[in-house]
Amino acid sequence: MAHDADVLTASGISAAEAERYGHNLPLIDGNKTYRQVTEEVFAPTERRPPLRWWLALAVTLSMLSLGAWAVVQTLTRGIGTWGLNRTVGWAFDITNFVFWVGIGHAGTLISAILFLFRQRWRTSINRAAEAMTLFAVMCAGTFPIIHMGRPWLAFWATPYPNSRGSLWVNFKSPLLWDVVAISTYFIISLAFWYIGLIPDLATQRDRAKTKLKRTILSIFSLGWNGSNRTWSRYETVYMLLAGLSTPLVVSVHTIVSMDFATSVIPGWHATIFPPYFVVGAVFSGFAMVLTLMIIARSVMGLEEYITTRHLEAMTKVVLATGMIVGMAYATEFFTAWYSGNPYERYVFLNRALGPYQWAYWTMVGCNVLSPQFFWFRKVRTTPWMIFILTIFVNIGMWFERFVIIVTSLHRDYLPSSWAMYRPTFIEVAILIGSFGLFFTLFLVFTRVLPMIAASEVKGVLKNVEH
Amino acid sequence: MSSTEHLHRSRFRASFADPEQLLHAVKHLRTAGHRVLDTYTPFPVHGMDEAMGLRPSRLPRACLAFAVLGLALAAGLQIWTSAVDYPLITGGKPLLAIPAFIPVAFELTVLLAGLGVVASFFLVARMRPRLRIPDLHAGANDDRFILAAELAADIQFPAVAQELAGLGALDSGLLVEDRFQRRSAFWDRPAGVGALLLACLPAFLLLALVPVLNRDFQRRNLAWDGGMGAPLSAQAYDASGVLPSGKVLQAPPPDTLSRHGEPPLAFGPGKAEAERAGRELQNPYQPTQARFNRGKLVFERVCATCHGREGDNNGSVIVARGAFAPTVLVSPLVRDMPDGRLFHVATFGGPTKMKGYGDLLSREDRWQVVLYIRELQKAAKPAAAPAQATGAQP
Repeated sequence: MAHDADVLTASGISAAEAERYGHNLPLIDGNKTYRQVTEEVFAPTERRPPLRWWLALAVTLSMLSLGAWAVVQTLTRGIGTWGLNRTVGWAFDITNFVFWVGIGHAGTLISAILFLFRQRWRTSINRAAEAMTLFAVMCAGTFPIIHMGRPWLAFWATPYPNSRGSLWVNFKSPLLWDVVAISTYFIISLAFWYIGLIPDLATQRDRAKTKLKRTILSIFSLGWNGSNRTWSRYETVYMLLAGLSTPLVVSVHTIVSMDFATSVIPGWHATIFPPYFVVGAVFSGFAMVLTLMIIARSVMGLEEYITTRHLEAMTKVVLATGMIVGMAYATEFFTAWYSGNPYERYVFLNRALGPYQWAYWTMVGCNVLSPQFFWFRKVRTTPWMIFILTIFVNIGMWFERFVIIVTSLHRDYLPSSWAMYRPTFIEVAILIGSFGLFFTLFLVFTRVLPMIAASEVKGVLKNVEH
Repeated sequence: MSSTEHLHRSRFRASFADPEQLLHAVKHLRTAGHRVLDTYTPFPVHGMDEAMGLRPSRLPRACLAFAVLGLALAAGLQIWTSAVDYPLITGGKPLLAIPAFIPVAFELTVLLAGLGVVASFFLVARMRPRLRIPDLHAGANDDRFILAAELAADIQFPAVAQELAGLGALDSGLLVEDRFQRRSAFWDRPAGVGALLLACLPAFLLLALVPVLNRDFQRRNLAWDGGMGAPLSAQAYDASGVLPSGKVLQAPPPDTLSRHGEPPLAFGPGKAEAERAGRELQNPYQPTQARFNRGKLVFERVCATCHGREGDNNGSVIVARGAFAPTVLVSPLVRDMPDGRLFHVATFGGPTKMKGYGDLLSREDRWQVVLYIRELQKAAKPAAAPAQATGAQP
């Protein structure tokens, strides 16, 4: 074995280096057969969930019902149950909205952009990451709808012919762009996810034991039989959807950032916002994917599918995007200083040294410092360390949105109207409820649908370039 | 139908355990002159399209067409609604603000392109919910790589089966397909009373639609939520059954301070207070042309009705009616009153009939009216002085 290290591979690197950089290593461990992949991927959907799954569900359902209670309080008693005031007119709801939309970005990035870049390791995680995108966008969508006060009139935000005379939505408003962008993103992500799911639904249908399950799966698998003529078109459609989703995912957080950037509030009115938000979204999304995958792989015994190689690749994305985010924080300060605008300068000094400095330094610590540990290979390949660091990143990215929104608003041009914002219990309960919704949906997903794209994993089982 | 002529016996299947073997077999069968109908695999086998001789899919063109449609739709919708049907200026932007239309145009382009290409895919690949899947493909979604092909004209199947076995086929066999016998479908089953009711349902629904379609479209929609569409409105002087005073318009709470930054007036109504005001208050304003104009305006709108335009009761409505004669403002009595006393009258009312205007006129306006009354008195002097105040000093 000793002189194996000296054998050069075809690409001109030693076997040791090849091992180190993962060249030509199998993407899936355990030398699996196709049948084994089918059995192992579909097993969780075919047996009764274990007790710990039910315990987890009990926790997430409790969180969800607490949130539902808070939403009912908000809608029956009014927005006055929130801690908003004259200068801080939106705070917790928009923070949570941007946070969840950001979480959603990793799914599309993994499924679309990594697909276009031919990153074949994505196959183990794309299904779950895309599901996570859908659930996160659902969580995000609830916040603006609750803030409307009359959610049953939410359709007023869409341009539809009505009997109120000439009356249309304002297409020049970033808030409307937001409605269109988030809806489009949800629909296209759903289509992308569903298209990817069809072959696996067919496998699940073929294996179904009960008639009801078989009937439901027959309806949703659309008569899939693995025909190569269909596969050929399927791959074309998948590629087209990936191509469409790539600019879409960039546009979504760009437009979310324009909610802020097109206003004239110091601290928001900055051209750096679109790229800064998009990168932040990818950063937080990958952190959330890692957090979830580390739990899921160990709970569901999928360590051979989601290997430390997958985790390592994702931590590298987290490190890179974390540094870009840190760069953006610094650039914001430079721009504020260079603008010569005293209000702009004040906002940033106030951010770092004012009454919300604890939030600012939490953000910097979590988002800029904690990813630096990923420079060490040991950290990148140790799941529990990754888990802790990604939790920090999640916290930091939540605080980033809080800092941007609240510190820019709470002190405006007139010192007489300066105010402090603190969330009420109702607002915190809605945030907890959104986490409850997210994890409940994810838990149900892991037991109802195959969490790993079996058909894609089978395609890379032999990690051979065709 | 007992004859076997209608049974089609030229098609066969074979299954493999490995995609490479399948690819090899397909190539082999095609060179041997057989027609490969399709292959069924758990994942797309690369190189199979070329091996089967499939042309690249034309779905990208459908995608482009839908993208163009989405772009046109978005452009048309935004331009027509914002610049033609509902031209509302917002944020000082032009009605036809093309840069502001880009985000929605982009999103709708992607939306229609994405949904359009998926719909086209389902259409051309004939994908729809199906309750039965033929046995031909058993294992194709698991770990089997299956091909279906048609024998070349002059070749018998056993020879092909042997070749396929040599290529690694796990099994192979002729497909017996009965061209005439169709399996009885759901739609062909005999149905009973339930189906009769179902058959009547569309007619009932159609009849139920008639009143809906007949409605007057000029009228408001039926609003199930009264909320914002029909707010409760109350006029300022209406009676109110809810509010404590029984009136809609509420008096400000006691000790309410004016929002104009003036300190509260330290005087109450009554004669003693009026005299105190005469002693203690000075007119804070000097006469200027602007104050004269304002005082004139207020005087003519508010005071002249009873006191007359010149302050001499000439033209007074209540004098003309014979009801009551107000104090003549240009009389020596009033001329000798200090400014503070006049201000008090303007604020709290006179000793007999006049009501106070403190709640209707601003403090500044009341002082300006006092200035104007002084000017009226100066103007009236030549006429009034000889008759009533002979000893007055100029």
